[in-house]
Amino acid sequence: MECSFGLTGKDYVLLCSDMSAGRSIIRMKSDENKIKTLGPHLAMAYGGEPGDTNNFAEYVERNMRLYHIRNHYPLLPESASAWIRRTLAESIRSRKPYSVNLLLAGYDTTTTKPHLYWIDYLGTKAVVPYAAHGMGVYVSLSTMDKWWFNDMNKREGVDVLKKCIDEVKKRITVHFNFNCILIDKDGIHHIDIESEDPITELESQQPKETLVDAPNPPLDIGNVGVTA
Amino acid sequence: MSRSYDRALTVFSPDGHLFQVEYALEAVRRGTCAVGVRGSSCVVLGVEKKSTLQLQDPRTVRKVAMLDDHVCVAFAGLTADGRILIDKARVECQSHRLTVEDPVSIEYITKHIAGIQQKYTQSGGVRPFGISTLVVGFDPNDKIPKLYQTEPSGIYSAWKACSIGRASKTVREFLEKNYTENLERDDSIKLTVKSLLEVVQTGAKNIEISVMESYGVITHLEQSEIEKIVATIESEKEAEAEKKRQRLAATQAGQASMAMGSQAVSGTQTPSAGGAAGEGEGHATVPGGESGVQ
Amino acid sequence: MNSVLTQLQPHQSRLEEYDELEHTDAAAWGSMAGFGNLSRTGGVQGMSVPRVSDPTAFLDLHTDNMSSNPEAKIKIAHGTTTLAFKFQGGVIVAVDSRATAGSYVASGTVKKVIEINKFLLGTMAGGAADCQYWETYLGMQCRLYELRNKERISVAAASKILSNIVYQYKGMGLSMGTMVCGWDKTGPQIFYVDDDGQRLKGNLFSVGSGSTFAYGVLDQGYRWDLTDEEAQELGRRSIIAAGHRDAYSGNTCNLYHVKQEGWDFIGNYDVNELWYEYENKKKADREIATASAAAAASPMAVEQ
Repeated sequence: MECSFGLTGKDYVLLCSDMSAGRSIIRMKSDENKIKTLGPHLAMAYGGEPGDTNNFAEYVERNMRLYHIRNHYPLLPESASAWIRRTLAESIRSRKPYSVNLLLAGYDTTTTKPHLYWIDYLGTKAVVPYAAHGMGVYVSLSTMDKWWFNDMNKREGVDVLKKCIDEVKKRITVHFNFNCILIDKDGIHHIDIESEDPITELESQQPKETLVDAPNPPLDIGNVGVTA
Repeated sequence: MSRSYDRALTVFSPDGHLFQVEYALEAVRRGTCAVGVRGSSCVVLGVEKKSTLQLQDPRTVRKVAMLDDHVCVAFAGLTADGRILIDKARVECQSHRLTVEDPVSIEYITKHIAGIQQKYTQSGGVRPFGISTLVVGFDPNDKIPKLYQTEPSGIYSAWKACSIGRASKTVREFLEKNYTENLERDDSIKLTVKSLLEVVQTGAKNIEISVMESYGVITHLEQSEIEKIVATIESEKEAEAEKKRQRLAATQAGQASMAMGSQAVSGTQTPSAGGAAGEGEGHATVPGGESGVQ
Repeated sequence: MNSVLTQLQPHQSRLEEYDELEHTDAAAWGSMAGFGNLSRTGGVQGMSVPRVSDPTAFLDLHTDNMSSNPEAKIKIAHGTTTLAFKFQGGVIVAVDSRATAGSYVASGTVKKVIEINKFLLGTMAGGAADCQYWETYLGMQCRLYELRNKERISVAAASKILSNIVYQYKGMGLSMGTMVCGWDKTGPQIFYVDDDGQRLKGNLFSVGSGSTFAYGVLDQGYRWDLTDEEAQELGRRSIIAAGHRDAYSGNTCNLYHVKQEGWDFIGNYDVNELWYEYENKKKADREIATASAAAAASPMAVEQ
């Protein structure tokens, strides 16, 4: 039972994932961060077989970081997507495959273009303007088909995302909490999807001048202010 | 006779030496110099940079490398070996994060590097790494700067200030003489540059300085900044020398003018003046000695 | 690029025949964060898996784990209630003590809290043997970590060792649902680790067949600012509730409190006795409440 969305805009990409974790019918956590920061402008939302998901995500995270340290620049979204897809494609042909589906979102600082990739456990990769995994597929893909258009500004993008989340809450029997991020030229930002106008909130925040090369230790995107 | 003991690395000579390891140390001694100085709240790495050729891109020649956000390493010896060792250490840094979630501590990664170096003195078909390293950084959740050194044999140790590579002995002696506890940032940098100037004749353009001030905060000084520091050191030295000259002249003049009767006073003065002069002389002889090593 | 990257890969080609030569090859030398006797893949030498081409499928077929094959010959014991939660005063760990084999109560005095070391506790749900073995093994690794790194292991790291191990054996019939609880530099911590290889950090967990019942009491009574006594009582009460409702849980309740200086064993309580004690107290409280309500109501009536 999981649900994630992503959509691209003019100069940004939005990524959103539910935050539940548990075993069979029991929800053991409703504030688990299922979006992994992979670099200064790269993140992925992942889901699938419990155990595999975290192991795979951490494996990707550390390899991305290793690449960055070795080469002094991070892997661009395009190359990162290729590497992740290949890793999954090799895994599916191994004795113990990873069952992990993911949405990879990134901002290419060299071309100033947002990127979104839909990748599944079979090693399929699709470049998409908007996408969903899990429960979200059933109700909100059509929502995005209807409301998404090219070169949306941030407000319009967030509005579409809100529509999707609203639809999931309305039609899916399971209750989800959502965790959203926005990636633009300044890096990765957490978005409070519950608030009236998250973009104004985002813009009113002091621009972080300490944008470290790569967020490491990783920005804990999901648990902003949640931990007691 | 002894030839047969340095063919296979894992064979001791009768007097308990591993010749290949000692040759590796020799390779280190021929490498460019690197200095590490630990201040009260920062740690400085200074390296002697080989002058790049006219058409060479200097950016591709690096002697200081980041292993992780909070660990920095400099080495002396065979650059090619250094690259390999650094890569292994980088992999370990990430691997450590993957297995225990925490970043490596400086001692841990030093121990790991030394461990790899040791492995290469006890395995078949390999040769030791021809490098010594200086590992600096801050432990996660800690404010105390750390400085470690490793050697080709696999020894590692912690230092307040340390030098490796060409003329490291001279530099170490200089550091021993001039190091004081709890150096501020600027003083640590100055001491590093000063000690490097003991070996580097060409001045600022062949010196590279990196300063780590806290976890993950590292700055590589610009050429112009290093030049400025070198200039102040030079002028200070100049002033010092001038003072000495004057003092020497004064004592000499005093001695000349004094009658033999007033020995008691000048007698105490002369040795100190002589000592200062001797220091100056020793200083002058250093570069000469260095070219021999080169 | 790929060859070195695979050094970072913790679990591909896991459980392949351990190649002595490969690991003595100095060129391939890399450590596992100080766990010298874990292999580079993070796995463990010493536990045998069936010598068949696909041990995972084999074990999946012949064990009844996760009820993929309830007819399997190798039955693994389940049935437990364990819980742990963080609050301002540390961590409370409470468990029941019943071991069942099918509908048969095999023991009523099982220690389901495994004392890994003075600062770490592990709880046991699922296969008793698996939990006991691997958590004892974890204790060994934690001690080695201490000796190597001159500091105590963090709860995060300890739980990660365990989750890496069970992830290696994923799908081979391991049955574990455990909470690694303790106090480290970062304060009190709880990590849930299960046989899927899932590892969750959290404030409050309950594991086992009775966990739903325990959650029912625990969630409703839980606050961060509970006092030590309140917290211990909440843990105890939740286990009693589960012991009463879940046929596979019961007998007694063991209660631990983890504090900065290490854990304390608070006590062992009989589930039945306590249940009726609670029942009587509830009844008595209710009577007092109705009596006082009646007393409060009557003057109102007079006033009217």
